[in-house]
Amino acid sequence: MRTGAARGHAGHFHEAGFYGSDAEFRALVVPFVEEGIAAGEPVIIGYDDRKNALVRSWLTDPSPVTFLADKSVYAAPTRAIAAYRRLFEFHAAMGAGQIRITGEVPHPGNGGSFEGWDRYEAAVNTVWEDFPVWGLCLYDTATASAAVLDAAERTHPRILAPSGARRLNGRFQDLSVFEALPYVPDPLETTRPVIELGDSSAAGARQALAQIGEGRVADTILEDLLIGVTEAVSNALLHGRGSVTVRIWAAPDRIVINVHDQGRGPADPLAGLVPASSSIPDAGLGLWLIHQLDINVALNHADDGFTVRLRGHTADG
Amino acid sequence: MRMIGPVVSSRGFGPQDHFCWVHGDPSDYCPRLTEFFSDGLERGLRVAYLGSGSAGELQEHLGRHIDVGPQQARQAIQVIPVEEIYGAGGPVDPAEVIKKYAAATQQALTDGYQGLRVSADVTDLVRAPAQQDAFARCEFLLERYSSRHPLSAMCEYRFDLGDAVAQFACLHAAAPAGLTPFQVFACDDGAVGLLGDFDMTCQTAFERAVQRIHPAPDDSRLVFDMSAVRYMDHRALLTLDEFAQRCQVPVVVRSMPRIVRRVARVLGLEHLGAVHLGEL
Repeated sequence: MRTGAARGHAGHFHEAGFYGSDAEFRALVVPFVEEGIAAGEPVIIGYDDRKNALVRSWLTDPSPVTFLADKSVYAAPTRAIAAYRRLFEFHAAMGAGQIRITGEVPHPGNGGSFEGWDRYEAAVNTVWEDFPVWGLCLYDTATASAAVLDAAERTHPRILAPSGARRLNGRFQDLSVFEALPYVPDPLETTRPVIELGDSSAAGARQALAQIGEGRVADTILEDLLIGVTEAVSNALLHGRGSVTVRIWAAPDRIVINVHDQGRGPADPLAGLVPASSSIPDAGLGLWLIHQLDINVALNHADDGFTVRLRGHTADG
Repeated sequence: MRMIGPVVSSRGFGPQDHFCWVHGDPSDYCPRLTEFFSDGLERGLRVAYLGSGSAGELQEHLGRHIDVGPQQARQAIQVIPVEEIYGAGGPVDPAEVIKKYAAATQQALTDGYQGLRVSADVTDLVRAPAQQDAFARCEFLLERYSSRHPLSAMCEYRFDLGDAVAQFACLHAAAPAGLTPFQVFACDDGAVGLLGDFDMTCQTAFERAVQRIHPAPDDSRLVFDMSAVRYMDHRALLTLDEFAQRCQVPVVVRSMPRIVRRVARVLGLEHLGAVHLGEL
């Protein structure tokens, strides 16, 4: 049985809160956690080390709470969806009536990149619907950019104020109409690529990338890029339109790749975020696989076609 | 050491090599046959030519088209009407074919030869789509047999078969470069070797090739050796995983390249069916 504001709700009860100070953060997070502990519900917390320590210090007894020390959960949106799903499956199997999670996705204000996380926030309204999850996502208004706060507002059906007041969010956009943040070109993409392959095969792209990437990025990152370019080219050939163009840029310690076709790209807003897309299962698995890798992935739907951008950096490895 | 992988020349094949070649005109086949047989005679192998027609017709054909030196050498070449090995019409019986090759190989050894070397243009045996599956299974069994016995075979196909050639070429240890992006071959310890690039471009061909792989009756497990795999994408890995799930003996994968292991781990194949990623 569900407790608190989510009582009687089916599926993911997805809520956002905005704070401008530690005091406001405390006012948002502590009642949420204490109420869950009191109800015997599993509570999972995923903030940075400083905020995790603060929450721990504010709780009467933090021992029942799971603090996600493993930052790799937030390494990529697709991985976070899968990692949380495994946790939910475990707790559901243990008979939990409700699972509470609270955390903050990466954005430049907390030292990360927000790229892809707007889609994540939109997607989790749908992909966890089969679990009794209460997700409270807290954003620091002092550090998060206007674009991040805008996306956060548009992806949460409910807003919690530090005062404890709850309201339905009029700006909420359902997944089917959600407008993702605009694609931000990498500075390298405005320069001339090292190579441009027209009508490329996956094997041809791998061969070119292996030659260009060797010594520029760690072997493991290069391998992930090779896997990514294979899947992107295969998807473009199978599901895209027109010719497939692969462009590769290289800096001393990083690689940027575009795989472009003239089609519109996957229409499914969950493409890449979950293993199987409802409309094109095979493409869904390839895109999902790309998003599981230790590389940065961006999808760009533009007037001239669809592009999968892959970026690998030595520091990523 | 068997010759394995794409080859650019039909020269230098040893007593256990199994390779295919493709020709447009019969006149392209003859010089290769001459060379293959001359080399076999020098190695002390019994050499046999399989073809359509009576023994006399085949002898005459050989006499006209190949030159292996003195008359004595030419007479050392056995001719075998193709029906004797492959049966008359209809799909072949792969197990029966291999039994006949095994008996002929054993007879060659008994007669004091170092082994048996055969060649045939098998195009007419695979022209009908209904014949192709059985013949491809036969090629796989022949590949396994030759990896462990002194039987060397040059299987000739004609270009006019079109794309169908690739489904047979990929089941030989050696094949002309460019004919197939991947090969399934037999390792000398009984493992099934995989070689080349396995991605979307050959996914259908790989699915078909996998269907032609069967463990031998005395195999307690089937080992896939991936040390010659350059790349394998998620589709091919899932194909192998599905094969493992329906295979009657446990399937083990060994020497999986790191990049393929990465894909396998993301897919979670470590926990599926009987594909074991041990011995990596």
